[in-house]
Amino acid sequence: MNCPGTGSDQAGKSTACQGCPNQNVCATKPKGPDPDVGDITEKMSKIKHKLIILSGKGGVGKSTFTAHLAHGLSSDNDKQIGVLDVDICGPSLPKIFGVEGEQVHQSGSGWSPVYVDDNLSLMSVGFLLSKADEAVIWRGPKKNGMIKQFLRDVDWGEIDYLLIDTPPGTSDEHLSIAQYLKESDVDGAIVITTPQEVALLDVRKEITFCRKVDLPIIGVVENMSSFVCPKCKVSTQIFPASTGGGQKMAEDMNVPFLGSLPLDPRIGKCCDEGKSFLTEVPDSPATQAYKQIMSKIVEYCTKRNENRESDSGEMKTN
Amino acid sequence: MDSLEILDEKLTECPANSEDAGRSSVCEGCPGQTLCRMQGGADPDQEIIDVRMGAIKHKVLILSGKGGVGKSTVAYLLSLALARCQSSKVGVVDLDICGPSIPKLFNVENQPIVQSPYGWKPLVSPNEDVKVMSVGSMLDSDTTSVIFRGPRKTGLIKRFLKDTFWGKLDFLICDTPPGTSDEHMAIVKLLKNVKPDGAILVTTPQEVAVATIKKEISFCRKMGVAVLGLVENMSGLVCPCCKETSEVFPGRGVVSLAESHNIPILGSLPMDPKVTECCENGRNPLENYPESPTVQGIMEISSRLIGLVNNG
Repeated sequence: MNCPGTGSDQAGKSTACQGCPNQNVCATKPKGPDPDVGDITEKMSKIKHKLIILSGKGGVGKSTFTAHLAHGLSSDNDKQIGVLDVDICGPSLPKIFGVEGEQVHQSGSGWSPVYVDDNLSLMSVGFLLSKADEAVIWRGPKKNGMIKQFLRDVDWGEIDYLLIDTPPGTSDEHLSIAQYLKESDVDGAIVITTPQEVALLDVRKEITFCRKVDLPIIGVVENMSSFVCPKCKVSTQIFPASTGGGQKMAEDMNVPFLGSLPLDPRIGKCCDEGKSFLTEVPDSPATQAYKQIMSKIVEYCTKRNENRESDSGEMKTN
Repeated sequence: MDSLEILDEKLTECPANSEDAGRSSVCEGCPGQTLCRMQGGADPDQEIIDVRMGAIKHKVLILSGKGGVGKSTVAYLLSLALARCQSSKVGVVDLDICGPSIPKLFNVENQPIVQSPYGWKPLVSPNEDVKVMSVGSMLDSDTTSVIFRGPRKTGLIKRFLKDTFWGKLDFLICDTPPGTSDEHMAIVKLLKNVKPDGAILVTTPQEVAVATIKKEISFCRKMGVAVLGLVENMSGLVCPCCKETSEVFPGRGVVSLAESHNIPILGSLPMDPKVTECCENGRNPLENYPESPTVQGIMEISSRLIGLVNNG
């Protein structure tokens, strides 16, 4: 059932290709390694940690989470953080970061991302549109081309973290990211869900996708877990965890569960105003929850670094 | 340093949907050029699609651009309301190939799709007998992921229209994934000859959602799809304890969007945990909770839609 990949040796020849409208193109295209992947790998080697934020389901808060993870990580002034928005059709991050309307500049070393803060930068197709309301009506291959350009041509510099925000689904954008970064030692994926089964249905598929493309999964975050009524303070589950929510799903799929984030209406308001919820509402239970999840992610990345260094240390002594 | 003007207006005018697909000067250097050249132009299956779709009085797209605003939920509730309150024969086609929510909502999970001499038989939901077609019904398990690139998704969507024995219907509701890409271009192209009634745009109140809806409006205008109206979903939450309505996703964007773009607001749907629970379990909220403000809201939207499509 699944596409072998337009770059693979089986492209256009596998049984899965029968009936695919792209079959002829794949079968006749020259094969071999993509030279751009080498350039991309080289650029990515200057970045200590690469994290991909995925979901499968739309509207669960991938971009919101990515933005706030970036704000949280950049609160350490010694760290340099980059964010790449590969949602070509619905790029939300310029708005969430409050940098809509900014321009991308080109220099000898590549495209310069837009700086949100001294140590936090962003690249998004949103900056490349002449009008913010302009629809980007592109088929898959053109989206893939743009993503490749972002990965190859953006001059992030030597940064500590690159966070890659994705659109919902398991299609062109996701396959491209997996393909272009396959030699770039991505730390892993953070999978966002909301508690209800209709969301979990899509998220399970995303976890299966990650396994298929050998993308390590750092863990699952359950967003919009509960809503606290500002009047009576009673907690309501807007999106009921009728089948056990994100935590049970993570257990069933054998992936770590990083934590739950409650729904505070001020989060949505901050995103609309381009502000960081973590600084605007530091005493919210949602801020505390964000910080706990962030520290787990940082711990995972640090441990991974240590394991890599000790492995290469062992190799040297051997 | 030079300012980067990668995407001026000309370059966003990708002609993928027209006779110039792959042949225009704008296409030079585009990674999709060869594919467009092969896929663009006349399609032999179009005649069959035109015949099938000709037996359906009204074709309505449910679009958003933004994910997670409730397109599938609105498609579900609207189709129930049209069937129950407007005595219509309704079918729903799920064009979200990667994240198909429709089988769960309609309580047709685990039912296989059967071939008949007239084509694939759509599944019939126990909820108001709505006919349903979705890739979700073709998967072995709910963890199976459908990792299709654009052309394969387009191919499957074509089969949903060409090979499904929909029969005579009053409404075919097309639920779409978020975005403005292959699936959206496919459905507009495939329905071109049978003049779909138009699109209902679903959004939530906050600015981040409304900003993406503006792109969807731009998509509709570029592709010649009429915008029937806006539905504001998740407009508030009625607290089951104190009955106060709270704003969960605060924002006033929908009203100003409707005014600035001259588009009617078909209705607002607040969040009702009882209705959400029905959706989770494939139950019919119109039957179980007829007094819910969400159910009242969708019934009003369905009668406004009937008015629009019958006067159009």
